[in-house]
Amino acid sequence: MPFEDYEDTIKKCLRCSLCKWIPQIQIKSQKYASICPSIDYYNYHTYSGGGKIILALSIYLNRLEPSEDLADIVYKCSTCGGCAISCKYLNKLEPLEIIYELRELLVEKGIGPMPKQKLYAEYAMEKHNPYNEPPEQRMDWVSEDIKISKNAKIAYFVGCTSSYRRKEIAKATAKILNKAGVEFQLLGSDEWCCGSPLLRTGMKKEALELMNHNLDLIESLGIEEVVFSCAGCYSTFKAHYPRYRKYNFKVTHTSELFNRLIDEGKLKLKENLKIKVTYHDPCHLGRDSEPYPEWNGKMVEVMPLISIPVPPKPLRRGTNGTYEPPRNVLKKIPGIDFVEMERIKEYSYCCGAGGGVKAQYPDFALFAAKNRIDEAESTGAESLISACPFCATNLKDAIDDSGSKLKFYDLSELLLKSLEDKEE
Amino acid sequence: MNNQIKKKLIEICGIENVNDGQEVLEKYSKDQSLVDPIKPLLVVFPENTDQVQDIIKLANQNNISIIPISSPNKYRFHGDTVPKSDNTIIMNLSKMNKILRIDKKNRVIMVEPGVTFGELIDVAGKNGLRLLNPLFPRKSKSVLSSALEREPPIVPRFQWDSSDPLLCTEVIFGTGDYFRTGIAAGPGTIEEQIESGQAQKNPMGPTQFSPYRLIQGAQGCFGVVTWATIKCEYLYDTEKLMFSQSDNFEDFFDFMRYLIKYRTADEVFIVNKVNLAALLGTDISNLSNLKDWILITNFTGMGQFGEDRISYILADINDVINDYNIKLTETLGNIDNSKIFEIIHETCEESWRLKYKGGFQDIFYLTTLDNTVLHYNLVSKMTDLELGVYIQPINQGCGVHCEFDLYYNPADTNEGSIKKSFLEISKKLMDIGAFFNRPYGLWADEMYARVSNETISALRRVKEIFDPNNIMNRGALCFKEE
Amino acid sequence: MKIDKKILNEIQDIVGKENATDNEVILESYTYNWCVEFINVMEGKDPIPFWHKPIAVVLPSTTEEVQKFVKLCNKYHLKFKAQSTGLGPWNQPSEDDVIVVDLRRMNKIVKIDPKNMYCVVEPYVTGAQLQAELLKYGLNCHMPGAGPQVSPLASSTSMCGPGFTSSSTGFSGRNVLGTEWVLPTGEILRLGSLSLKENSDWFHGDGPGPSLRGIMRGFIGTKSGLGIFTRVAIKLFPFPCNIKQLEIKNIIPNYDFDIPNYMQFHLISCKNYETLELAFDRIEKEGITFMCFHTSTYGLHTIFSNTQEELMNRAVASPRIKNPLVVLITANTKREFEYKEKVLKTAIEELKVKDVVATGKYIPPNIAYAEALRSALGMHGFLATGAFQSTHGSMDTSRLCRVLMERNLPLKKEYIDKGLIGNDEGKGNWSTSYEHGHFYHIETPTMYDQTKVESVEGFVEYLDRCNKLDLVEHLGIPFFIEGDKMHDWYGPQCSNYHIWLRKIKTKFDPNFVADSGFYISPEKEENKTT
Repeated sequence: MPFEDYEDTIKKCLRCSLCKWIPQIQIKSQKYASICPSIDYYNYHTYSGGGKIILALSIYLNRLEPSEDLADIVYKCSTCGGCAISCKYLNKLEPLEIIYELRELLVEKGIGPMPKQKLYAEYAMEKHNPYNEPPEQRMDWVSEDIKISKNAKIAYFVGCTSSYRRKEIAKATAKILNKAGVEFQLLGSDEWCCGSPLLRTGMKKEALELMNHNLDLIESLGIEEVVFSCAGCYSTFKAHYPRYRKYNFKVTHTSELFNRLIDEGKLKLKENLKIKVTYHDPCHLGRDSEPYPEWNGKMVEVMPLISIPVPPKPLRRGTNGTYEPPRNVLKKIPGIDFVEMERIKEYSYCCGAGGGVKAQYPDFALFAAKNRIDEAESTGAESLISACPFCATNLKDAIDDSGSKLKFYDLSELLLKSLEDKEE
Repeated sequence: MNNQIKKKLIEICGIENVNDGQEVLEKYSKDQSLVDPIKPLLVVFPENTDQVQDIIKLANQNNISIIPISSPNKYRFHGDTVPKSDNTIIMNLSKMNKILRIDKKNRVIMVEPGVTFGELIDVAGKNGLRLLNPLFPRKSKSVLSSALEREPPIVPRFQWDSSDPLLCTEVIFGTGDYFRTGIAAGPGTIEEQIESGQAQKNPMGPTQFSPYRLIQGAQGCFGVVTWATIKCEYLYDTEKLMFSQSDNFEDFFDFMRYLIKYRTADEVFIVNKVNLAALLGTDISNLSNLKDWILITNFTGMGQFGEDRISYILADINDVINDYNIKLTETLGNIDNSKIFEIIHETCEESWRLKYKGGFQDIFYLTTLDNTVLHYNLVSKMTDLELGVYIQPINQGCGVHCEFDLYYNPADTNEGSIKKSFLEISKKLMDIGAFFNRPYGLWADEMYARVSNETISALRRVKEIFDPNNIMNRGALCFKEE
Repeated sequence: MKIDKKILNEIQDIVGKENATDNEVILESYTYNWCVEFINVMEGKDPIPFWHKPIAVVLPSTTEEVQKFVKLCNKYHLKFKAQSTGLGPWNQPSEDDVIVVDLRRMNKIVKIDPKNMYCVVEPYVTGAQLQAELLKYGLNCHMPGAGPQVSPLASSTSMCGPGFTSSSTGFSGRNVLGTEWVLPTGEILRLGSLSLKENSDWFHGDGPGPSLRGIMRGFIGTKSGLGIFTRVAIKLFPFPCNIKQLEIKNIIPNYDFDIPNYMQFHLISCKNYETLELAFDRIEKEGITFMCFHTSTYGLHTIFSNTQEELMNRAVASPRIKNPLVVLITANTKREFEYKEKVLKTAIEELKVKDVVATGKYIPPNIAYAEALRSALGMHGFLATGAFQSTHGSMDTSRLCRVLMERNLPLKKEYIDKGLIGNDEGKGNWSTSYEHGHFYHIETPTMYDQTKVESVEGFVEYLDRCNKLDLVEHLGIPFFIEGDKMHDWYGPQCSNYHIWLRKIKTKFDPNFVADSGFYISPEKEENKTT
């Protein structure tokens, strides 16, 4: 029965619309008050987190059948999870989980995912990357000046996007690790898609296949720590895999590693940059990298009609996302003037690329990214920094499309610049 | 017909309360305004709500217009209560003059239409309350009418809604139906409501409409109010006047806005020297040591720390006063502050405007503070008459009542030229956006000509509901018969 | 019924193809709202939160589009129901075959006029958005208790409007200035100074002559039953303390806030309702408060908790505060603050009551100060159970509030004892001062479980008993007296107001196109008197 786990909460949406906005006390302007790209673009309440909960309840009560119309709405969402953060500031609903469940149901009924998402899922299963690229070319980005240590205890999980589309991120990451003297190995063509795009479009079964391959591989190599420059791969490993299979190695995002390496004095930063930057929190590095809390308690009726979870049930609120490491790195780079946007950290605004949106609904993805570019520009920053290759692609597209003068750098690219001699 | 009506009215109100003597009719055929006179059929003085209701029902049956009034004839000024048709009865409510309840705890007083400022300010004060009175009201002015006509109170910080101080009312609509507005509507009689702790304070409603807003500003066109509750404030224990003078009244604006924004000042308004002289009942030549424009403001405190309130406010003002480029003084030239207190707290025997030169026409409307500069510059060029100016912030700072008083001696002034000038200035002001929200007498046609058709159409639909036979003050506002 | 495609096309010609739809899935999401389950029970149906499905949803972006759409409704005799931010059952179509007008795309702050202390907003500007922009001018707006995520326009024109800051920011319905309003006939009516053909302005809402605000709304609004409000000017207030931005620290849910200078909560424990009444009147006398409201002890713990765990901890560990009066003092200067604190302290001594904050027994969290400034305390009400609704809801004096609380207590306990509503010891009330004690509001929030049939039915029965209590004991008209059935019940005992309300509806909506489930339907032809 779909939504069984959420039976209690799906009946309790207040339709208060808090899911459409960043937490109310954080709102600093009219323009940047929204948290939901989907409602911003499509406007009907249906597209909000709360709207999806209503649809789930309708299905649960047999008022609504899964349909293509339903799919078209449910998939027009980047699954950024902002709605869930705002809702859970005071309430307990799980709109993001409901969206995932709706998508799984649509897949189960043979309606989902959407055609382009289906295609890249097929590629991911066949070629182990959603771009339909040859697996053997996965390491094409590795130039001669990059040193790979075959049996290192640390593995750099490059991810499909950096391997094939945003090679500059992979290169910069590897070079920085080299400069810091961190020995790492690559999984090469055995590295498979982490499954994130499938997981987020309702293809859980296939995603778990990919997961099992990756975990089997890493565990078989005796790797102790896996480093990710891709926020999507990172959150999939860190937050989602453990829901289905536990593992014993450590997962680290490059922002965390870079921050540590700077603190340990392993990276010598030069004063060769003079630039005002702002930072975009990728959803997957931020709120979505928070692991799902475990709870084995029960609901206890403390008075008639009022039941509470005992022990208290921790909620996945975005509290434990990765927010400070990338900021710390930026703040430590000499010459960088770091300014924040209005929507940051757990209530950051999504770039619009995730959840299969970039592939299926590019206009929507571009709309969200332009919104974010506008916000970045409003800070007076010259450069926008982020730490996710997928955000990079979408935000760069928005910069090009809107004619913005902003420059985009992945955190690794900017850090690498400060390690090199060339002045900018 | 006339005799039959008279007979029935005598049956309703008693012979002593119906008067159609020619002298009386002559008196009620006009007021101090420039509106053409028309004699009413008679004047009737109801003494209670039942009589008001019977009179209105009678008027409906006989297609007679009724104009309710509360003030003595001499002090009606704006033409709103001058008959506009031959078939009119004046309903003089001055005999309904009871103070029905004084409720200090809830800061409210219930009065009939004939209760005057002269009486009520005094009675309220003795009960620890103060009224939100207009500037130096005439002693015989009806408190209820003043509230019903949206006269601007001189303490903007206490005017939370532009309808203040009017709260609940008892009204007989033009249909002859009895109604109580706001929470007074029910459930329960007034006595039962008081028993359950109510004080007829919430003016809104019942439920999803607020008829008190319809009858307010209606010049009696929708019905007759037979009592109203009036919002009051606690009486202060201590107060402090402050003044500023300038050759240019615009200099006061930013400081006034500061006072209004933080709700520190009680009374706050601007007058020019002419109006100050009129208010003081003196000749302008006696004020030669003053600048042309005067800002008057008053701070109050109550209870044990009343003085402390005034002290902190003045100390805070002292910290910022340099930003406003004005000078504040504790006195105004050699004028005794008691004279100023009289203007802001008490009543005048005779209209201060009328007393000044024996004749005046006042042009007043609502606008925003900044606009008053343009308006003054325009008006001052359009008349050679002595020009009084009074600018009163209203509704906690959302707009001002702006008033130009044209003073003249009736003995040596041609009424025709005054009328021409009065109308020309009024029209010119309307043309540049002056909002005559109380469109009396000669203004009504001009104002409604400048108002959207949808608004007029909506007002007429409301009129059809509450006065379908158009008997209430027929011809007033935009309710002319086609 | 499905909408005729030809008509849908005509609507799409007005608002754009993507902004009008009859997509079944979208329509389904517009059938749902908070508290609809008890409306269904009142209608003898199952307690589900879904009501009547609209035949289309329209998203206009301008007043002109609204006007054209409404005219089309007249042409085809179709009913509409407008909603802004859309919280609550009164946003729902009350019958089948209605078109929902979602005003989400009308979201402009048209004007902020700091000199004349007002702003002009469209329907989908939220309170939090507006306040964020006003703060840049040191100004503040009144927000209803529903929270900063709802529409100030809707609250001012169409809903009710008590809020946590009502002692210093009044009531939504009394803060209205110039208003733009599309009548059910399709005419655009502009109120007050906005009605001028030329040089119109927003600063005043009455006249010329009678104020049409009188038909626009009463204590409560017409909830789209008399047209669609497209822009409204509302009165502003000074921001209560001298800050330019509210900086919230830390990560959710552990938000923290540096309390600005000159800001202090006081929680005053009143031994009984009589003392509470006296405290309300006394403390509001000098007009010193930013907030002055009563909630139950449990309610107090709720507004000061951000998680259920915190709530439970407070409930267990906090001292028992009897009939709390919550007072928040704010000031722009040290002198002002000291004066206000001194006045309050003396009043507390006079009243012989205790301030548990001053005694150090109860410390409101820092973040509560930020939430108070941002009128965000109300949503805490959902923290414990996820569902509550208020009964009663009148506004007049502090004595009325006391009498109502006292008389409601045994009634509420009866339903608590039956296990049908949540146990707040019968004392779950919320009462606030408006305009520094000129008016007082009382409602009784009641917890129930919307997923349990017996609880929903129990709540409905209790609500009905509350309405009867108000009628029999003369406690004012509850704020949910709306719709034909309720008006026809209460009207005859309240000056027959329902007759006049119905006449207004008849005159202004001759083709009956504005859904009036939460207003009143027009006179029947045979009953028309004018």
